[in-house]
Amino acid sequence: MLWAYAFAAPGFVLFALVILYPVARAFQISLYNWSIVPGSASTWLGLHNYGRALHDPIFWRSLVNTGFYMAVTTPAQIVLGLGAAVLLDARIPARGLFRALFYLPVVTSWVVVSLLFRYLFMTDGGLVNWLTGQHVDWLGGRWTALATISILGVWKGIGWSMVIFLAALQGVPVELKEAAIVDGAGPWARFRAVSLPAIRPVVAFVTIMLVIGGFNVFTSVFLITGGGPLDETQVLLTYMYRQAFTFLDFGYGASLSFILTLIVFVLSLAQLRLFRRPGEGTA
Amino acid sequence: MRFGRLILALALVVAVAATAAAAGARVHATRSVTTITFWHAYATNAASPELQRLTKIVIPRFEKLNPSIKVVQVPFDYNSLQQKLTTSVAGGTLPDVIRSDIAWVPQYAKLGAFAQLDKAMPDFKSLAGKTYPGSLATNFYKGHYYGLPLDTNTRVEMYNTAALASAGITSPPRTFADLRADAPKLKAKGIYLFADSGTGGWNVLPWIWSGGGSLTNSTYTKATGYLNSPKTVAAVQLLVDLYKAGAIPSLMTGDQGAVGTEDGLATAKYATILDGPWMFPIFRSAYPNFHLQTALVPAGPGGSVSVVGGEDIVMTQSSKHKQAAEQFIRFMLSPWAQTQMAHAGQMPVRTDVSKQLTKINSYYAIFEKQLQTARPRTPSPNWPQIDTILGNAVATAMKSGNTKAALDSAAQQIDGLLR
Amino acid sequence: MTAIVLPRAQRVVALRLVLLLAGAAVMVLPFAWMLATSFKPDSLVLQVPPQLIPHHPTVANYTGAWSSNDFGRYFLNSVIVALGTTVAAVLLSAMMAYSFARFVYPGRTLLFGLLLVGLMVPTMMLLVPQFLLAKQLLLLNSLWGLVVFYTGGNLALNTFLLRNFFVDIPRELEEAMVVDGAGPWKRFWRLILPLSRPALATVAIFTFLGSWDEFVWALTIINDPSKRTLPIAIALFQGQHATSWGLVFAASVIAVVPVIAVFAIFQRQFVSGLATGALKG
Repeated sequence: MLWAYAFAAPGFVLFALVILYPVARAFQISLYNWSIVPGSASTWLGLHNYGRALHDPIFWRSLVNTGFYMAVTTPAQIVLGLGAAVLLDARIPARGLFRALFYLPVVTSWVVVSLLFRYLFMTDGGLVNWLTGQHVDWLGGRWTALATISILGVWKGIGWSMVIFLAALQGVPVELKEAAIVDGAGPWARFRAVSLPAIRPVVAFVTIMLVIGGFNVFTSVFLITGGGPLDETQVLLTYMYRQAFTFLDFGYGASLSFILTLIVFVLSLAQLRLFRRPGEGTA
Repeated sequence: MRFGRLILALALVVAVAATAAAAGARVHATRSVTTITFWHAYATNAASPELQRLTKIVIPRFEKLNPSIKVVQVPFDYNSLQQKLTTSVAGGTLPDVIRSDIAWVPQYAKLGAFAQLDKAMPDFKSLAGKTYPGSLATNFYKGHYYGLPLDTNTRVEMYNTAALASAGITSPPRTFADLRADAPKLKAKGIYLFADSGTGGWNVLPWIWSGGGSLTNSTYTKATGYLNSPKTVAAVQLLVDLYKAGAIPSLMTGDQGAVGTEDGLATAKYATILDGPWMFPIFRSAYPNFHLQTALVPAGPGGSVSVVGGEDIVMTQSSKHKQAAEQFIRFMLSPWAQTQMAHAGQMPVRTDVSKQLTKINSYYAIFEKQLQTARPRTPSPNWPQIDTILGNAVATAMKSGNTKAALDSAAQQIDGLLR
Repeated sequence: MTAIVLPRAQRVVALRLVLLLAGAAVMVLPFAWMLATSFKPDSLVLQVPPQLIPHHPTVANYTGAWSSNDFGRYFLNSVIVALGTTVAAVLLSAMMAYSFARFVYPGRTLLFGLLLVGLMVPTMMLLVPQFLLAKQLLLLNSLWGLVVFYTGGNLALNTFLLRNFFVDIPRELEEAMVVDGAGPWKRFWRLILPLSRPALATVAIFTFLGSWDEFVWALTIINDPSKRTLPIAIALFQGQHATSWGLVFAASVIAVVPVIAVFAIFQRQFVSGLATGALKG
């Protein structure tokens, strides 16, 4: 089946060159106390960097924080994104405008929205505290700060999953929906019986992507709390960035990123298994 | 098919445009002119029109005086420049001259990225002698100087007269004792005595040094016995006590939800802060009704000692045009160039231009005075790690009250990084 | 007051609209704040609490941002790079997705798995190895360097998404074409692609946005200011001690326009019934 390879080849060759080869190099870097100066010798460490990570309390803390962020933002974005897509999958006035408005947060720059959310959640003078009448020190404590960052993540990501769900909902055969109406099913029943099963693989895809994205949270944490106070809101990537680019310890940073990759890989496999339709073959 | 034609058309547009761009880049100058590249983070905003001054006045004059040298200046935003330097070291694609933050010099000197200017430039000694010692010292690493200071600054006390007056205080705190005395009076009026945005070296070293303590010994090889010496502990204890008494806001221990130092000072939430000369144009623009006053850093047993900031100008080891690069560095350190950049808020490093300085901006006077005793931060390639440990230790002390324990532990960790 | 009773269908539409308006308001508020601040005189400090209606609106920030430092050239560079990346990434990933969806061959699972692995590695860690690679490939300091790496970086996600859609296209349609003597390329081009318009549009929208907004790689490999892209230009308005917020926001608004335009153009493909209508054959 030469055609099969012919179709896959151009893309895959580029992918292998530009992504897979650097991944291999990055793994190689994680095995050394890597010196960034070209031509100078790096000390071989083997798996020492990985062991170091496992004994690093800040690594574990950042792992927990990242996990929290992922666990909170993923279901929220799926439910709200799907909800928005369902609302927009209809003949209503200004449909295109609404879609663009929901997509707007996705395209607004992280710098701008992180800054805005910092202002919104300020202890004194922040809009959130003003509206709720509370005096919560949002960014001063670990879980409240993570909550703020998670709210930002959800708000910014709803449009992304909405776009994918919208495209998926287009693919639900109209005849099936019409048949369900004839059977007397209400809108919720139609959704559960017809649309939801039909878009199941897409829900699986979105879930996997959101989990990966959740684990890769970086810019918002970097700009809102910087990982503080006292490293309490560090996530895996902010910690990795500091190790690699501030402390110039690329070997350790690379090992952190591969541990992250391993965790995400295992989670993704688990999800693929979870979402597999009975009787479906591999991949 | 329409779809296919659309893709073909787009691809064609892209190909043509990219080729045009590439072709444009291949046009070279035909005269024998040496081109040097200069990376910097001079900004373009209302507070500091640095970039305009560099490109419209300073560089053109240099090129006029040196017709065989052309300077290509590449601006970066401050937060990105360090990352750019790191990847460029790894890729071997550094420019000829860089305006580097003083705190980065030892790190890149160790990597061999910066050239040893004291060996490369024959007139290094005479140039260096004309600069502030504290600023010059930021270029020193393991026996050599890897750059020259380019612009300098320091932190002084900035205060809000109205806030102080409302608590019955008529003069700004000038000593540690004043601070302890003023704190409860201000607290009674709901005003914080002092605010800062962190506890790193830049923030707490003025307190430690003014308290007569230090982070390390004078040769920067040991922290135990210095960071946890009685004097240092007492200085940090001042901050701890003030924090516990509610005279310092949670902003200092990392709460990003607290009001910033700039807004807090101008709106009389904070009575005093420590900050640099750039605040004058910023306050003028943001809070035109606020009259900013300054004083020296509050003095303790060690006097009034602040921390040196600023940038150094360095030449890269990989530069292929070292002579031209040195010529540019020489020019940037000339009285004329230094005075020019002073107009844009860049405090000169030369001690002999101070008379013109106060004519340019009268507020430079207090910074000049503070600079006479100001000290640089530890010139170690591991400074980022040391800074993090110090910052965490002081913040932990402020939150928990266990000053000695926090500093003991930090000193031990820093010892390992100073070897 | 007499209650207005709407017929059921209209009530559903009304409910949808109410929910959508509430949702849209929440989505739009920050952008509205950004827009409002961009029309206020440039300031180094952000007003808290934020005002949504500027008292003395001005376009000075927009003219200031556009006329600064070659902004127009950075904008053009971003357009070239984003368009090139989108075309290349959509085409290559559609081809790969077709191979994974329609053919069974040894190594297929392995290739697909490798693609997924590429998706899971944090791109930040690949920065230095990719930089060294770009240097070897002589792609440094060029827009091609951006296009090649952006395309490669987008392939995994796009292929993954498209494969899901291709798998759902009924085989009978393709088999009908095989009977007519159509080869795989013709089937791909004439049947699969047109039927996947919503999916292709989705992939195009995301790829364009991703390459339009990308900052770190552009910062890393471009040294020549004339080849810089828009995110770098916007970052330049941030100073060391203070930032010109009016300029940053105006520049950000200018930067958002093409992305919204691409979205608006491509989301017309999300028309209910178009795909299924064609499927009815």
